[in-house]
Amino acid sequence: MTKTSSLMAAVVATFAASQALANAADLTVFDWSGYEDQGFFGDYVEKYGGPPSYTYFGSVDEAFTKLQSGFEADLAHPCTDALRKWVAADMINPIDTSKLENWDKLMPKIKEVDGITIDGQTYMVPFEWGNTGLIYRTDMISADDVSLQLLANPAYQGKVAIPDAASSAFAMAALATGASSYTDMSDEEFQKAADYLRAIHPNVRFYWSDAGQLDQAIASGEVTMGWGWNQSELNLIWNETPAVMMRDVDKGIATWVCGYVHLKSAKQSDEQVYDMLNALSSAASGKYIIESWGYAHANEDAFAQADPELIDTYGFSDVDSFFEGSLFFDAVNPELESKMLKEFERIKAGF
Amino acid sequence: MAGVLRSDTGKGLILSAPATLYVGLLVAVPLCILVAYSFWTQTYVEIDRTLTWANYQEAFTDPLVRHLIIRSVAIAGAVTLATVCLAYPVAYFIAFRTKKKTLWLLLITIPFWSSYLLRVFSWKLILGFNGVMNSALISLGLIQEPLTFLLYNEFAVVLTLAHAWAPFAILPIYVSLQKIDRSLLEAATDLGCSKLERFVRVTLPLTVPGIIAACLIIFIPTVGDYVTPALVGGSQGKMVANLIQVQFGAANNWPLGATLSLLAMLSVACVAILFVVAVTALGRRIR
Repeated sequence: MTKTSSLMAAVVATFAASQALANAADLTVFDWSGYEDQGFFGDYVEKYGGPPSYTYFGSVDEAFTKLQSGFEADLAHPCTDALRKWVAADMINPIDTSKLENWDKLMPKIKEVDGITIDGQTYMVPFEWGNTGLIYRTDMISADDVSLQLLANPAYQGKVAIPDAASSAFAMAALATGASSYTDMSDEEFQKAADYLRAIHPNVRFYWSDAGQLDQAIASGEVTMGWGWNQSELNLIWNETPAVMMRDVDKGIATWVCGYVHLKSAKQSDEQVYDMLNALSSAASGKYIIESWGYAHANEDAFAQADPELIDTYGFSDVDSFFEGSLFFDAVNPELESKMLKEFERIKAGF
Repeated sequence: MAGVLRSDTGKGLILSAPATLYVGLLVAVPLCILVAYSFWTQTYVEIDRTLTWANYQEAFTDPLVRHLIIRSVAIAGAVTLATVCLAYPVAYFIAFRTKKKTLWLLLITIPFWSSYLLRVFSWKLILGFNGVMNSALISLGLIQEPLTFLLYNEFAVVLTLAHAWAPFAILPIYVSLQKIDRSLLEAATDLGCSKLERFVRVTLPLTVPGIIAACLIIFIPTVGDYVTPALVGGSQGKMVANLIQVQFGAANNWPLGATLSLLAMLSVACVAILFVVAVTALGRRIR
């Protein structure tokens, strides 16, 4: 075959392929940075010959603001506690679970998390989950001594970091003060939680806004305890820093669940959108995220396929007992949420 | 019509039209939207467009807002003072003591070749717990434990901002020093002024416009700075812009955010006007 004819054949083949299937990059995903990792959606890449396009946000609040002011995408990746607000703002389409190949394989406990289904309609395909908890330096604090109350101990002045996010801070406070519910605190419980955060404030070195800041501060010993995500714990493990997350359900730990939603502004066909959702929720993607990222996936089969030793290292070996005692980041009722935000701003300013 | 366009006024209007249009569309219109928002209210995800003073009432009665605005003005004031005091000798040196003016001016702008965010992060690296400063002091044996007062407080915010804004102070002061008629200085010396007297009674008053310009250029934007206190301010260095950001982000309360923005703008305007009046009066008295 001559050069020209082989080139012609290639052009024809490419053209035919693009006719047969929509362009991979036409699908836009509005996501946290890092989630463009092709291991998360291998089946999609195989079918469409490439990854979708990604646009990033830094926080779920930022994503909400951007979408509300007219930003368009096909899929977005919020966490469950934001869903009621997103649905109220009429931003997302219900999910047709019958089109999801893996829906039945997703962990029931995760599917039950508040916000995934609202008024009988499913709005999110849960993707990954993990913990928010107290990460501490094991060489400076013993496992027996560590507790959420220790954060307020005057001996730890300037040695503590907590997130610059009212919901996460109040979840921690609810666990520490034994509030009956985090999403629907009574006035008295709210006051106790706020007093607890106020007691911590003099010990706070900084309110972290990016997890890297927390990782570095714990690694250097600048702070000895911090309320953070399991991602920070992993970074510290990989960095060989003697630090772990306090995983004792009696002492207080929270679980977050994030996943993909089908935006109302979506332009691509449902077929392409659901192909992506299926790729994301498959066991193979789950195995990859557990082993390479140390995050837990929503697909139950993924845990059977992944390396048990790694699952143990990353703290997901006893999933059930965990779900029993853990606090889930449910949607806080809007009135309480704005009260939390207001109070948190005052606490941070020293009021 | 053609006659009007050829006249001086016509030419002036034509020349200023693009800028006026640009400023009108990108400053005046958004400002009007901001004012409109400040009289609306947020109900969960909807905006209630009934006009009300509720946001202003909330902002005025809340001691937190007052506290943060005062702190922002104080921090910006400290930044302005530090920057102008440090910039004056540099500008003086370039204007009077060196022939390689272009080289020096170029050197001064070098920090601007990298992004502002990177410069803030470099300060974090310098002032951090195991940063450049602490490592150096420890290896010199001057301290045993890393110093923690370097980062995450108002001092770090002032230091970072003063560094970032230095060229904005140096340039206007340099221009005003450069404009001084050198024969005035000779005359002062001839009439028996000492070097210090000559500086206080001739040079300094003549550079007041440059100092005012430098102060305003630095003070106004730093009051509303958001990223510096967020990154190096820690738990004690938060400013009013951080509160505004929360309203537009996590709190999703744009109307209150708009009100706070307008109040911050008003405070800045008041302080700036007072400052200009005071300095002009002072300048006249020295002369």
